[in-house]
Amino acid sequence: MLYLQLLVNGIQTGAMYALIAAGFSLIFGMTRVFHAAHGATFTIAGFVFYECYQVFELGLILSVLGSALAAGLFGMLLNRWVYVVIQRHEGSFFTVFAASFGAAIVVENLIAIFFGKGLMTVSTDWSRSVEMMPGLFVAPMSFVAVIVAIVCFAILHWLFTHTSLGVALRALGENPMLIDVFGLNQRELGKYAFLIGSVLVVPAAVLTATTTGLSASMGHHIMMISIAATIVGGVGSLRGAAMAGMLFGLAENLSLAFFEPQWSEAVTFVILFLFIIFRPGGFYGRAIVS
Amino acid sequence: MKKVLGVLALCQALVAAPALAQDIKLGAAFPMSGANAEYGEIFSSGVNLGVEHVNADKRLKGTMAVVYEDSQALPTQGVIAANKLINVEETPYILSAFTGVSKALAPLGQRNQVVMINGGGVGPDLAQLGPYFWNVIPLANLEVETMVPFLVNEKGLKRVALVYVDDPLGQAAREVLDKELKAAGGELVGAFSIPATAQQFSGVAARVRDTRPDAVYIASYGNQQVQLVKQLRDNGVSQPLASYSAFSIPSLLNLPEAKGSYFTSQQINLDSPDERTKRMVADYRQKFNKDPNMYAINYYNAVLLYADLVEALQKEGKAITGANLLEQRQKTPTFDFVGSPVSFLEDGTVKSPVQINEIAGDGSFTLLKAGK
Repeated sequence: MLYLQLLVNGIQTGAMYALIAAGFSLIFGMTRVFHAAHGATFTIAGFVFYECYQVFELGLILSVLGSALAAGLFGMLLNRWVYVVIQRHEGSFFTVFAASFGAAIVVENLIAIFFGKGLMTVSTDWSRSVEMMPGLFVAPMSFVAVIVAIVCFAILHWLFTHTSLGVALRALGENPMLIDVFGLNQRELGKYAFLIGSVLVVPAAVLTATTTGLSASMGHHIMMISIAATIVGGVGSLRGAAMAGMLFGLAENLSLAFFEPQWSEAVTFVILFLFIIFRPGGFYGRAIVS
Repeated sequence: MKKVLGVLALCQALVAAPALAQDIKLGAAFPMSGANAEYGEIFSSGVNLGVEHVNADKRLKGTMAVVYEDSQALPTQGVIAANKLINVEETPYILSAFTGVSKALAPLGQRNQVVMINGGGVGPDLAQLGPYFWNVIPLANLEVETMVPFLVNEKGLKRVALVYVDDPLGQAAREVLDKELKAAGGELVGAFSIPATAQQFSGVAARVRDTRPDAVYIASYGNQQVQLVKQLRDNGVSQPLASYSAFSIPSLLNLPEAKGSYFTSQQINLDSPDERTKRMVADYRQKFNKDPNMYAINYYNAVLLYADLVEALQKEGKAITGANLLEQRQKTPTFDFVGSPVSFLEDGTVKSPVQINEIAGDGSFTLLKAGK
């Protein structure tokens, strides 16, 4: 029963990681901006949800919408007022990365000032597990996590295969020069990449708020997972990032059956090293180093 | 050019002026950011009040000032912070916290003859870090020695599972818990170490449930222990939870899932009639609108201990150095701490009665058993 329990936990964690990683991969793959502040977007989304749901008691749907609005706005404004400005002055890839990293630290400190440095949790019965069969505990939130992830990826798939915006975004990731030839605006498309990528953190942020709690410094862990999943999935591949996120979630939890819990995070990086050595292009994408 | 140099000299003087006025420095390497910053806030609330009181009393020749550096509760950052406090700020007395950080800082104190004083870390091996490392908090072995007989003999909870952070504090807690449980007729049925940065514990909860314990002991701290409690409860661990003094932070005391958990802490009588306690408690309540917890009191005591030693050295016309502070402490039999007079043991630690508390789940706790 322990294996089944860990499998269920792994699927829930994996669904969460998949969404976060897909958002980061989408932004990085489409715009080539190493958006280190993706973890900050996640933190903002979580805290706005907390404020709307727990403090202002706006209800679940309005709180999620508020969280999505905040995440999307943050991503787009950061792109517009920081990344684009630096790129306009021919800032290098690393200048943009440093700016993004700095933005993440500023956000962390601002959140600590406004919300305090402790952990904040949202109390809901959705996160409380029920015993499905002897020894197997599943929280309603686990089902929500998996269903939300499936719905999000179905919408993304439709967007990228059936809409002109999606096709243009894919083209931006594949060949930015071609975008110019077709008279499309790279920066305009980049705006949408940031909007969609940032909003993708919302389900995971809401799940985190209700299951593990929120703290100003939680963005670092999210960032690490995002980077690792983007490499393992293959740069620019949403499908790959999603698969890598799920792989990490499952590996992190199933490893508990064999190793001490202290090794569960290391498993993620062992997988990453193995991919870098034996399959640098990841599941589907291009190699990070050419 | 002369004008420029003149302006620079004026700037230099303006910058240097506050440093001249604050001539009795103490340093503090606390977590001011990161997952354990909540402790930094509590620690510094006690330190600031202590410094305020010392300066208001005008006991010292000069003004006392505290220089904070951010340790992030990490040994590497702590060493960077302490190096700056020793070599740049030249402070002879540095407040430290957290077992892992304190163990990293102790050799620096020993090498540079700078006093390191801990009021927050409780790893038992903090008693073995040399004469320049002092503790104003009873260490975890005293806390575990108090909790285990309570769990095993009074509550009948013999099978205990441990979830502990993989650092010196957690490892020490595992050793002491194992030893004490065996001595009390109990059993450590499982010990699960977690990395200090871990946040997801649903899998750990499954492993804990699998051991079918009577109680679960948690040896972690900060945001992580709050996440642990919530996730253990959310994932079907319904057995009583027990821990040590790290459980006394607001975010855990306010957590509904923590209701009914037991934790030990050093015994502090906030209603003590002595003037030092009455003043500290009254001013703290006025300033922060709540009672001081033992961390705030420990660091307040650490500041007043420094003031006592400096005052004595100034009376004798001696320099305020780490070596002189150590000598002065060793020849002073007792110090008036908030709560009660305290004597230091040979190994630089203090002994204090340890009480057992139960969390009410609304930000407060009730005293279950007074310390002896």
